[in-house]
Amino acid sequence: MNAPATATAQRKTQAMHKNLQAGICFWSFLMPALAGLVLFMAIPMVWGFLLSLSHAQNTIHPGHFIGARNYTDLLTDPEFLNSLWTILVFTLFIVPATFAFSLWLALAVHSIPKGKAFFRTVFFIPTAVSYAAASLIARMSFFSGTASGFANHLVGLFGMQPVQWIGTASPPWYWLVLVSVRLWLQVGFYMIIFLAALQEIPRSLYEAAALDGATGGWTVLRFITLPQLRNASVSILLLNLIAAFQAFDEFYNILGGSGSSGGNIGLARPPLVYIYNVALSSQDFGRGAAGGFIITALIVLFTLVQGRLLGFGSKEGR
Amino acid sequence: MATPMLTTPVTRRQMLKTFVFAGGALLSGCARSDYIDGKLVLTQWYHQYGEKGTFQAVHRYAREYTRVNPHIIVKVVWIPGDYGTKLATALLTPDGPDVFESTLTQAMVEAGQTAPLNDLFTSQDLADFNPRDIALNSVNGKIYGVKMIDDLGLLYYRKSMLQSAGMQPPATLDELMTLAAKLTTPQRKGLFLGNDGGITAMLNVLPWSAGADFLVNSQIVFNTPRTVLAYQKLQQLNQGGSLLMGAASDWWDPSAFTSGQAAMQWCGMWAYPAIARAVGSDLGAVIWPPLDAQGVPVTFLGGWTAMVNANRPHVEEAKKFLQWQWIQNRAIQTDWCVGYGFHVPPRLSLARTTPKLQQPVPAYAVNMLGKYGKATPPLWNAAMGSDLTNAVTNIVKLGQPAAQQVAAAADMCNRELQRELE
Amino acid sequence: MMRAHSPAEKALLALRYLALSVLAVIFLIPFYLILRNSLMTDAQINAAQWQWFPLHPHWSNFRQLFADNTAFVWTGLRNSALIAAVTLVLQMLISSMAGYALARIPARGSRTVFQVILLTLMIPGAVTFVPTFALMAYIGGVNTLWGILAPGLFSAFSIFLFRQFYLNFPTEIEEAGMLDGLGYGGIYWRLVLPNSRSVMMSLGVLAFVGTWNTFLWPLVVGQNPSSWTIQIVLSTFLTAQTVNLHELFAAALVAVLPLVVVFLVMQKYIVEGITFSGGKE
Repeated sequence: MNAPATATAQRKTQAMHKNLQAGICFWSFLMPALAGLVLFMAIPMVWGFLLSLSHAQNTIHPGHFIGARNYTDLLTDPEFLNSLWTILVFTLFIVPATFAFSLWLALAVHSIPKGKAFFRTVFFIPTAVSYAAASLIARMSFFSGTASGFANHLVGLFGMQPVQWIGTASPPWYWLVLVSVRLWLQVGFYMIIFLAALQEIPRSLYEAAALDGATGGWTVLRFITLPQLRNASVSILLLNLIAAFQAFDEFYNILGGSGSSGGNIGLARPPLVYIYNVALSSQDFGRGAAGGFIITALIVLFTLVQGRLLGFGSKEGR
Repeated sequence: MATPMLTTPVTRRQMLKTFVFAGGALLSGCARSDYIDGKLVLTQWYHQYGEKGTFQAVHRYAREYTRVNPHIIVKVVWIPGDYGTKLATALLTPDGPDVFESTLTQAMVEAGQTAPLNDLFTSQDLADFNPRDIALNSVNGKIYGVKMIDDLGLLYYRKSMLQSAGMQPPATLDELMTLAAKLTTPQRKGLFLGNDGGITAMLNVLPWSAGADFLVNSQIVFNTPRTVLAYQKLQQLNQGGSLLMGAASDWWDPSAFTSGQAAMQWCGMWAYPAIARAVGSDLGAVIWPPLDAQGVPVTFLGGWTAMVNANRPHVEEAKKFLQWQWIQNRAIQTDWCVGYGFHVPPRLSLARTTPKLQQPVPAYAVNMLGKYGKATPPLWNAAMGSDLTNAVTNIVKLGQPAAQQVAAAADMCNRELQRELE
Repeated sequence: MMRAHSPAEKALLALRYLALSVLAVIFLIPFYLILRNSLMTDAQINAAQWQWFPLHPHWSNFRQLFADNTAFVWTGLRNSALIAAVTLVLQMLISSMAGYALARIPARGSRTVFQVILLTLMIPGAVTFVPTFALMAYIGGVNTLWGILAPGLFSAFSIFLFRQFYLNFPTEIEEAGMLDGLGYGGIYWRLVLPNSRSVMMSLGVLAFVGTWNTFLWPLVVGQNPSSWTIQIVLSTFLTAQTVNLHELFAAALVAVLPLVVVFLVMQKYIVEGITFSGGKE
């Protein structure tokens, strides 16, 4: 053997050793997280999948297999299809609305010379409130249908009769209630992400633009600010889309659920509420699991479509 | 895509378990044990009753049982929030309660969740319990539950308001609708049936008042013109502008009536003490009036039922305890029915003799419950209820054609029934 | 940062202030409503005549709430604080380790693992809820505090954000550690972790809030009042057959207030932390 060959072999061994070491480190760093995700995600998912193929009434033991009947039963139930339609419409509205609202808030708060911290705090604080508490305030105080509600007090100032904000379909004011609860709870958080991203835009970019004569607010926004916010925007849209598809709490707590009779939920029942009722009220765990998988498939599909459109993941795997 | 996670070596899973257990020990996790100091521990679940004193009462009953049976401790678990969800999930595991309250469904029996209780009743007991309660808790001739309380609905009104409107208590639904409209003022609505416009509260009551029914002899029977008419009337009522909606509390809570937001309210007899306190002798109440000349007056027969979990190791002891509390111990049954809230004891002899039930309104209510109380059978399940509710929401709120919706709901319910009977 | 020069720009700025102020008032109304209602009697809350603030605030509502021996307010607050604090510490540790490995340790399968973790983000809790509960019952976690908090320790969301943060982590620090002969473990423990303070603060607060506000899981897993969280205590006022509005709103205030205080105190760190994690990839 000649010397260079030995050196190459040595280097190869070293590299292999280093790879091995990195591999061991990698997996041991990930171990706690992966173990938890296996225990509380993977096993329940496999279990749930088996259930979705079973007739599992009042039991969570898969075994009475009935093929895809849970899936076909769901997809031929007009109320389930209705719920998919409901969440689609809701998502198509709430995602752009949240995006535009939080972006506008961030730009406005960012641009004012004084009082930044105050406004930032005020818009961010609702993030601390739970959906349950927010729904309670909306249903029982802000938007209650009697004259004692806050919104109806304002309406009364203009000499109008109290409005049924929640219980009626014509006009469907309940959408206003649902949307404002969600916006109130989440725009502050996304505003903070935008604000952070805004602070990271190098000033030199604006100065260069000013030198080039680009002074109009719109031009700067269109050609400098927005492109620089691209990564933040993509994250926000992704998180927001997933959150919108999984909407449950405000629908459940405002239109039905604990503390109110259930007839209003039929006005706008998102799929997770449908599944909750099937699994936990009717205790048909097979059909409940099947519904869960249908929703998951939809979320994955929409995330992929959105990712394609916005180019999310193009920088992945570096 | 989940493959990499599934092939994670078992040892890691084990290690995590150890880790979680170690953490658990640190956090003073108290694992369930059947015995404390050599005494058998039975767990008994209640949903959260709203009335003051109920929480203390159930603990007192439990202590009393230990006094007469020193080798047994009854641990009471009081559950707020979504009791149904919590009970349903707990019954799926070996860790569920020994004795619990719920409403019997045939699916519970078929899944083997509840133990048969026939041997707990003597023939005198059987004769003394409201026969409808016994029937509602029987599946294929076996009794699976003992009714703890009977509830019914009442339409509460103020006599003085009716007088000044020149009206009598309503004898038909049309009279009630006229009355509700007459009693509506800018500050007050005529009638409160719940924040969903009565969809939940009237779901069964209105068709019953038309003479219709839902599930009889394992057949879905509600797809009739009478049911359709009943729901059409509910839609008219919703459009009439005399229904209160959007109140802070719902139909089962008397606040809307006692605070004057509504002139009349459909509520349970359980609210009678609070309403009587607020309204005094001006109070009047009737059960739901017949839909029309072909209809019948009606009220729901509700309440709670005690059952024994068949999947626990000490079924016999649990049955003995349930027998002591809800069959033999008349003092507890009376205390529980009228000591805090206001319910009818399922034992006919107690319902007849309890002094608090002799006042005019409760005496009327007990009488009406015996004559006109109705309930859905154990085979009628939540899925069917939900199919029907959807249809009624579509009729009442969205103005869709009633006949078509009722027929569609009947189809869905038949599908559920087939699943159930498979 | 932009200075208003021309009258038009000044007018625009004034308009912006006006819009922000109106929005700020609207955003604060719900808080005002909780406070107002919690100091009133039920009759005042239900009154048709609007009252901006009670003339004689019923502070006794709070005394009544804390004295209510069926409500377990103190127990709920204590359990929520304990569960949220433990979740915060362990979730941060577990997620930052995982996020660091995914961002910085070159290994085969790293990309696949990351995609799988991203996928779990999209699975609604409804899919796994019941089986997870059954699993928990089999390993003895029902009715224990650890059973309530264990699933919350593993968050795909915070692993995702930690990875994004560590992708931007300055390589110089790592290289210096390598020269000192540190392995990945040493680098992580001695250099990376101490430099992750800001991101930990922000994600930690979010984890704390999330844990504090969860409802369904603690409801189903915790059974005795001794394991109730404050959200469950709050729900007892909603589901009671007779609703005590004043007590309900007082309980809502008690459930919301601690987090509002945490937010006010921690706000600066939250904003700083997100500065690192949200922006670049």
